[in-house]
Amino acid sequence: MKTTLMIKVAAGAIGRQKMRTFLVELAMMAGIATLTVIVALTQGADKQITKRIRNFGPDAIMVHSGGGKVRGPSTAAEANLSKKDISDIRNIPGVLLATPIQTELDMPLKHGSKFSTAWVMGVEPAWQRAWHRGARKGTFISAADNEQLSKVCLIGTTTAADLFGGDDPVGSSILINNVSFKVIGILEKRGQSPVGTDFDNLVLIPYTTASRRLMNQPRYAAMVRVIVSDPARAHHIAAEIKGVLRENHHLAATEEDDFRISTAAHVARMVRMSAKTMGTFLWLVAVIAPLVGGIVLMNIMLMAVAARKREIGLRRALGARKGDIVMQFLSESIMLTVIGGFLGIGAGVGIAFYIHHLGKPISLGWQPFAAAFVFCILIGLLFGVYPARKAANLDPVQALNQ
Amino acid sequence: MIELRDITKSFHNGPTTTEVLKGINLCVEKGEFVAVMGSSGNGKTTLMNILGCMLRASGGSYRLDGADIESLDDDQLSAIRNKKIGFVFQAFNLLEGTSALDNVLLPLVYAEHYPDDAEERATGLLQSVGLGDRVHHKPSELSGGQLQRVAIARALVNEPAIILADEPTGNLDTASSEEVMNIFKRLHAEGKTIILITHDPDDAARAERTVFLRDGKIFHREEVQ
Ligand SMILES: Nc1ncnc2c1ncn2[C@@H]1O[C@H](COP(=O)(O)OP(=O)(O)OP(=O)(O)O)[C@@H](O)[C@H]1O
Ligand SMILES: [Mg+2]
Repeated sequence: MKTTLMIKVAAGAIGRQKMRTFLVELAMMAGIATLTVIVALTQGADKQITKRIRNFGPDAIMVHSGGGKVRGPSTAAEANLSKKDISDIRNIPGVLLATPIQTELDMPLKHGSKFSTAWVMGVEPAWQRAWHRGARKGTFISAADNEQLSKVCLIGTTTAADLFGGDDPVGSSILINNVSFKVIGILEKRGQSPVGTDFDNLVLIPYTTASRRLMNQPRYAAMVRVIVSDPARAHHIAAEIKGVLRENHHLAATEEDDFRISTAAHVARMVRMSAKTMGTFLWLVAVIAPLVGGIVLMNIMLMAVAARKREIGLRRALGARKGDIVMQFLSESIMLTVIGGFLGIGAGVGIAFYIHHLGKPISLGWQPFAAAFVFCILIGLLFGVYPARKAANLDPVQALNQ
Repeated sequence: MIELRDITKSFHNGPTTTEVLKGINLCVEKGEFVAVMGSSGNGKTTLMNILGCMLRASGGSYRLDGADIESLDDDQLSAIRNKKIGFVFQAFNLLEGTSALDNVLLPLVYAEHYPDDAEERATGLLQSVGLGDRVHHKPSELSGGQLQRVAIARALVNEPAIILADEPTGNLDTASSEEVMNIFKRLHAEGKTIILITHDPDDAARAERTVFLRDGKIFHREEVQ
C-alpha cells in the first residue's frame, strides 16, 4: 500500500518531467545499447576463437619449414623437412603419427568456364587421422594413389561451390595449374583456421603427385603434422621435436631455428593475444558509454532537485526524514536508469542482430542482460546519490519558501 | 502542552545579523485556539517554524508535550512533525499532478505504520471538509478554497494534536475564508490545539485568545490596549 503510493508518486514525477526523462533515457539507452552490442560481439568473437582452436586439435603439433615468426602455412618452395626428420619424429615416444604435407597457396583452378584459386596440399592417407577429417562424399586419397602418383583430388565445399555451383563434382575433372585431376571426393566441412582462413577452400592431392609433378619439391616436405597420444604432453613432445630437428639440420647453438613448431597452446596464446588488445579497448568503451548516461542522470537530477525544492520542503514538513528524501530521489534515479537500460538492451539486441546479419559472429547469452541490469542500478546509485543527498540536506524552511 | 521560554532567533547573512525573535515566552494549553497577529516581517512565520520543529531556535527552551525539543536530532524532529503537528500554509503546498486523495495520504507515507484504512480515512476527511466529490481531482482542477481544504485534510490525516496554520486565508476570497475558518472552529470544538497566524482581525476573533508579535516579543491583548 505504502510502497504503491510511493511508486505512484515517483512515477508521477518521472512522467511529469518529460524532457528530463527523455534525456536521461536517451543517454542510458545509448550507453546500455553500446554495452550490449560490445558484449555480444566480444562473446561472439571469443566463441569463434575457441572453435578455431578446437579445429587446430589439442593433440596436434604442426612443424613448418622455415624459421622466423608465426605466419601462415609453409609452401613447397621453402620446404626443408627431410624424410629422416619425419622418421625421427615418428620414433619419439608418445607420437602416434607424423604425416608430411606439401603445400602451394592460391593455385589456379579451372573447371569448364569457371576459375578459382585454392590452397593445394599433397597428403598421405594418414592426413585423415591427423586432422580427424575425411571425405564426406566419394573416397579419400589412398596409399596406392601415392605409389602411382595418381592425378586425383578431393576438394573442399567452398572450392566445390566455386567450380561446380550446385553440380556434383565427384567423377569430373578439374585443372590445377593446367594439369588435369579427377575429383574423387569432397572434404568434410571444417570452417576457419585459427588465423581466419577458410579451411574449406582446399584441394587435396596425393603427396607424391604434389612433390614430383606439381610443386617440384621431391626431397623435402613443407610441413609435418604430428599427433600425440596424450595432449597434456604435446608441449613436451614439441620440445623433443625441436631438439631432433636442430640436430638433423646441424644448427649451431647461436643459430636460430630454420623451422617452426606450433601446438594448440601456442595457437591459443597467439589468437587470444590479438583478441585481447581489441577486447580491452572495447570493454573500456562498453564501461564508459553507460557512465556518460550516469553523468547526464546526475545533471538532470540536480536540476530536478533545484526545481522541486518546494516539494522537498513540504515532504520534510509532513515528516519525511533525510533518509526518506534520499530514498525517494535514489529510487527515481534507479527507475530512470533501469527503464533506460531495458530500452538500451532492446536497441542493443536489435543492432547486434543487424551486425550478425552483416556476417559478424555474435553471441547473446544472459550475461549482457544481467550485466546491463546490474550496471543500471549501480549507475543510478552512484550518480543519483549526490543529488539525493543534496535534496535531503536542504534547509526545510528555505526549501518550502522557494 | 507547548511551552516557549526566552526563545530567540537570529539569521546570519554574511556579516549582517538579523535578530528576529528576542525572547519569546508563550504557553499554549492542550485544546486551546490561539491567534498570532503582527505586522508583516516581524517574525510570525519564523515563530511558527520553530513551533513546528522546522527550525531550531538560537536560544531559549522549547518544551512540547514534556519533550525538550532542542535536544532532539533531525530524525526525531521529523517524527514529531509527522505525528504531532499538522501544517496549513498560506500557499497550500499541494503536490502538482497528484490527486487530492494521494495528497492527503502523503503524511502517512512517513508515518511509523501505514494504516490499513488509510484510504477510507483520507476519503472521510475530504468528505468532512466538503470535498467528497473531489477525491480524485488534481490540484489544477480545484479552486483556492478547495485546495486549502485539501491541505487541511492532509494536516489532519495522521491525527496530530496540534494544527499550525500560517495565514491560511491569506490567498482566499471572503466566502472561501469563511469556510476555512468554520473548519478551524469545528476542529477546535473537537479538541485540537490550534495556532493560527493571521492578519485578519475577523479571523483572530474566532480564536479564544490573540497574542501579538512586536519587536521580537509576544504581547497579550491587555498589554497592547
Ligand atoms: N532564512 C532567513 N535568513 C535571513 N532572514 C530571514 C530568514 N527568514 C526570515 N528572515 C527575516 O526575518 C524576518 C521575519 O520573517 P518572517 O517570515 O518570520 O515574518 P512574518 O511575520 O511571517 O512576515 P509576513 O507577515 O510577511 O509573513 C524578516 O525580516 C525576514 O526577512
Ligand atoms: Mg509569514
